[in-house]
Amino acid sequence: MARSRRRTALPAVLLVSLLATAACSAAGSSSRDGGVGDAGEPRSGGELNFALASDPVCVDPHQRATNDAIYPARQLVDSLTDQDPETGEIVPWLATAWEVDDEARTFTFTLRDDATFSDGTPVDAQAVKDTFDSVVALGAQAALGSGYLSGYAGTEVVDARTARVSFEAPNAQFLQATSTSALGILARSTTELPAEERCTGNVVGSGPFVLDEYTPNVSVVQSRRADYAWGSSLWRHQGPAYLERLTFTIIPESGVRTGALQSGQVDAIGGVAAQDEASLAAAGFTLASRPNPGLPFALTANLSRPLPADEAIRRAVSLAVDRQEVVDTVLSPSFTVATGSLAHTTATYTDLSELLPHDPDRAAALLDDAGWVPGPDGVRVRDGEELRLTAMWIPNFGPNENALQLIQQQLRAVGIDLRLRTVPLPELPAAQEEGDFDYFWGNTTRTDPDIMRTAFSADLRNIYRQPSGTPLQEALAAQNATTDPERRAATSAEAQRLLVEDGSTVPVFELTTVLGVADHVHDLDFEASSRIRLHDTWVS
Amino acid sequence: MARFLARRIVQSVLVLWASFTLAFVVLYLLPSDPVAIMAAGGGEASAVTDEQVAELRETYGLDQPAWRQYLERLADAAHGDFGQSVANGEPVGRVIAESLPATLQLAGCALLVAALGGGGLALAATWVRRGWLRQALLSLPALGVSAPTFWVGLLLVQLVSFRWGLLPAFGNEGWDAIVLPAITLALPVGSVLAQVFAKSLRTALAEPYAETAWAKGASPARVHLGHAVRNAALPPLTVLGLLLGNLLAGSVVVESVFSRTGLGRTTATAVNSQDIPMVLGIVSFGALVFVLANLLVDLLGPLLDPRLAAERAERAVPA
Amino acid sequence: MNGVNGVTRVAGTAPHQAPSPPAVTPEAGRLAARLGYWLRRPGLVLSVLVVGAVLTAAILPELFTSRDPLTGVPAEKLRGPSAEHPFGTDQLGRDLFARTVHGAALSLRATSLAVAVGLVAGSAMGLLAGALGGRVDDVLMRCADVLLAIPALLLSLAIVTALGFGTTRVAIAVGVTSVAGFARVMRAEVLRVRGTVYVEAAHAAGARRHSVLLRHVLPNAAGPVLVFAAVEFGAVVLAVSALSFLGYGAEPPTPEWGSLVSEGRDYLAGAWWLTTFPGLTIAATVLAANRIARAWEGEER
Repeated sequence: MARSRRRTALPAVLLVSLLATAACSAAGSSSRDGGVGDAGEPRSGGELNFALASDPVCVDPHQRATNDAIYPARQLVDSLTDQDPETGEIVPWLATAWEVDDEARTFTFTLRDDATFSDGTPVDAQAVKDTFDSVVALGAQAALGSGYLSGYAGTEVVDARTARVSFEAPNAQFLQATSTSALGILARSTTELPAEERCTGNVVGSGPFVLDEYTPNVSVVQSRRADYAWGSSLWRHQGPAYLERLTFTIIPESGVRTGALQSGQVDAIGGVAAQDEASLAAAGFTLASRPNPGLPFALTANLSRPLPADEAIRRAVSLAVDRQEVVDTVLSPSFTVATGSLAHTTATYTDLSELLPHDPDRAAALLDDAGWVPGPDGVRVRDGEELRLTAMWIPNFGPNENALQLIQQQLRAVGIDLRLRTVPLPELPAAQEEGDFDYFWGNTTRTDPDIMRTAFSADLRNIYRQPSGTPLQEALAAQNATTDPERRAATSAEAQRLLVEDGSTVPVFELTTVLGVADHVHDLDFEASSRIRLHDTWVS
Repeated sequence: MARFLARRIVQSVLVLWASFTLAFVVLYLLPSDPVAIMAAGGGEASAVTDEQVAELRETYGLDQPAWRQYLERLADAAHGDFGQSVANGEPVGRVIAESLPATLQLAGCALLVAALGGGGLALAATWVRRGWLRQALLSLPALGVSAPTFWVGLLLVQLVSFRWGLLPAFGNEGWDAIVLPAITLALPVGSVLAQVFAKSLRTALAEPYAETAWAKGASPARVHLGHAVRNAALPPLTVLGLLLGNLLAGSVVVESVFSRTGLGRTTATAVNSQDIPMVLGIVSFGALVFVLANLLVDLLGPLLDPRLAAERAERAVPA
Repeated sequence: MNGVNGVTRVAGTAPHQAPSPPAVTPEAGRLAARLGYWLRRPGLVLSVLVVGAVLTAAILPELFTSRDPLTGVPAEKLRGPSAEHPFGTDQLGRDLFARTVHGAALSLRATSLAVAVGLVAGSAMGLLAGALGGRVDDVLMRCADVLLAIPALLLSLAIVTALGFGTTRVAIAVGVTSVAGFARVMRAEVLRVRGTVYVEAAHAAGARRHSVLLRHVLPNAAGPVLVFAAVEFGAVVLAVSALSFLGYGAEPPTPEWGSLVSEGRDYLAGAWWLTTFPGLTIAATVLAANRIARAWEGEER
């Protein structure tokens, strides 16, 4: 098998990088370095209190996919690689070098030899193997990681510093996946534990911070590792983190988060509400924002249910949604309307806005043709059945409820009755598995277009009940099977088009991470997928 | 006295047992399928297969007949073991113990505010001579019991924290953060205390010994504070015993308005995630607080009013 | 029921100055006396007007507003109170007055259901206990004691946990917590009425026990029980809206009084009207209902 050195060898990765670069730079420059500027020499010591908008539910980086779970988890684990937020390039972290075969089926990582977990055990090839094996064993509970490792054949421990990960089929996205916290390397003392025990706080990683305590719905407390010396090559400084202690306080109400920042009770907050942006900026706080790549916030159809299985209904839903009105009414100018299956900063993003017009008349005509006639109260009826759809959603993002109420109002204007069903965060996996919903409202952040396969592949969790053997499934598999950048772009574009064309997903707006940061906090950085990195952060 | 005490303790234990039983019936027998609720609520049930449901049934002992589940849970509860939270696997007892101090602090402050505010209002209302002022003071408690606490709390945040910037709007840190929540929580309790105390003060002031004291030339303040208050204190004290449980329950609303951590917030979260063992533990704890508070009031009563000791025998358990 | 906000059960049953009943006057003066009774109580008149308006709003919301409570004009979001929008508009440009008016229907329906649950179940329990006496009485009244030992809000939260969320379930949960109060009042009345002369006479005349119960005892006991229902009304409004505020009521965008207040929380700093007006509506309704109940209670005594 021909092997080649990294950088010269993986054109797909390069392409991803280039596209991400182009996209990111198009996204605006205010976000560079997290927007929090220089103020003299960094100072070691001190504490950062960051307010999260929702409970992480689980502190294991492998299990939860919400941003509020990833913020604290990201600080606990290191990854084999890191991704440059500016260029999209994959660069060394725990792995100093790697080789990928031409088919993207075998990935050989060379590890640095000085990294240790916080329990003292070495970060070696065996740890890589244990980590990946355990992610696969978690199955559906590893919401993201199990998809990144699909077709996992195993990890071979070549020697203590060399791990070879192989797959049964080409897996072009895997290298980028190794840069995410979903595949962060954990110590054996963690990977051998049952999933629930890890959630409540038994997580040992090699990251710059160590978990002290997680109190559900209250806080996550971490302290720095004094002997940390194996930071990512992207970071501003090497050695231990500047901050001694991190406290993530969970404050679900956006108004209270804003008040907490203004009164100095916390140093930075996530999920700044649209209505609070102006007052925070006026009060001298920095608003750090960066658009999130990945799947935008969308209503996505559950194809196993009779009504959303009907393409006419799905397309009518898409035509009835007025995306601009949603952004103007419930979001701030930091947010943008969705223009395709992927957010515009995602690699291989294709602008499909011509397929996503707001056209209630055409929506009404589609429903008329399908035999749905307006009923007495304005809701359309066919054969005595009302056109009533249930949208399931989770309270992980403040504006969700208002956005959905507005969409509900927009759909009602064409005679579709959209019912909303909130699911508490801890219940989400079970509710998705159960499938008792017509649409699910949500987003997923990732820089790689393969996130579409994670969400829509019939072979993975498949919460949307996509049938197998369709052109979409072929396109999703194809984009991950090729190392040829042009072919990957083409197949990804095909999948993006198929997803919105028949209304399977109705993208509405792109998530932008908006943080409010006090002026004594410096170098609060974003990683490539717009999550926070706190190793270089310091307080004055 | 010892016999009275023994009887009251036995009664209290019986009430506790019965409350646990009631809560068990509501939580375990009312839903068509508690397993489905728990499976949905449990992080471990991301894929709810038949085997997993069976496994869950076994884990939580739900595969057994209701009476056996009940007996086992009762035996555990008697030892203070309320099982594990379905949402995160932590022992219910520990979660309650950990979140309790913050709530006790809040309830304690609220109790103080309610006693001082309610008592002060009643004293003032019986003290003043001007009719219109007295009427105005006496009508305040009616307002206090009519305003929803969650709304009062938000109004206070709006004015005191946001408009005037005087006190923090939320959180557990610092003594200034407890002022607004304590006032909010105290309002309904204090209002009832004021109503009851004002009434019993008026009765006491009208009694012959007060007249005698007047005639002997005691100062108005002495009559008022010395004689009447002592004689009028029992009804509000009894009511207070009944209201302690409400302070605990009220913390569910107040802690969520002020984003405080504590037992109230834990309760709201448990209900949200339909965490049945957790809710059972908290409800039983609420009953315990009620029973203890009443026991305490019963023991304090005779200190205030010796006549009570004689009536003791007939008194029923809780009112 | 001793609800979230306290304690109004204790408040309701606590003694107070009863308004003196209209003095008995000759036929000609009766009308004037009645008028005088109301004129001397402007607060009571206002309370009747408030409760009347809220009840009308619950049944015929269209009388008060022609606006749609669910559909707004997004471009007109977060406008303060004005002639056009007396309560202002919310974050989606919906008219808050329309939402509050339509919320009355849902909130009062829940309140009525809760009071009905307490009234029917509690009265049945009290009637049985009072009429049968002996061991049945003991068992039923101890059950009532237990219902009172668990703080009302915690008990309704437990029921909501078991039954699930929604307006009707919240109403049932609140209703259960008031069962014990009704049972006690009914039992006391039954015992009182049973001892009266005409009931004893009916027994002596050979009437059967259940017919005496239905013909004589129940109608005579009904008055105080209905007064108690009136006393409970305000407390139940508070309890229902608290549970709705906590998010256990209807899913959005359905307007309930409690959820309207909670929706306004995030805009507290900028849009004071979102929490103020719905909250004021609840407070005014409860205050008025309590005032009426007290007046009625006074006359009944």
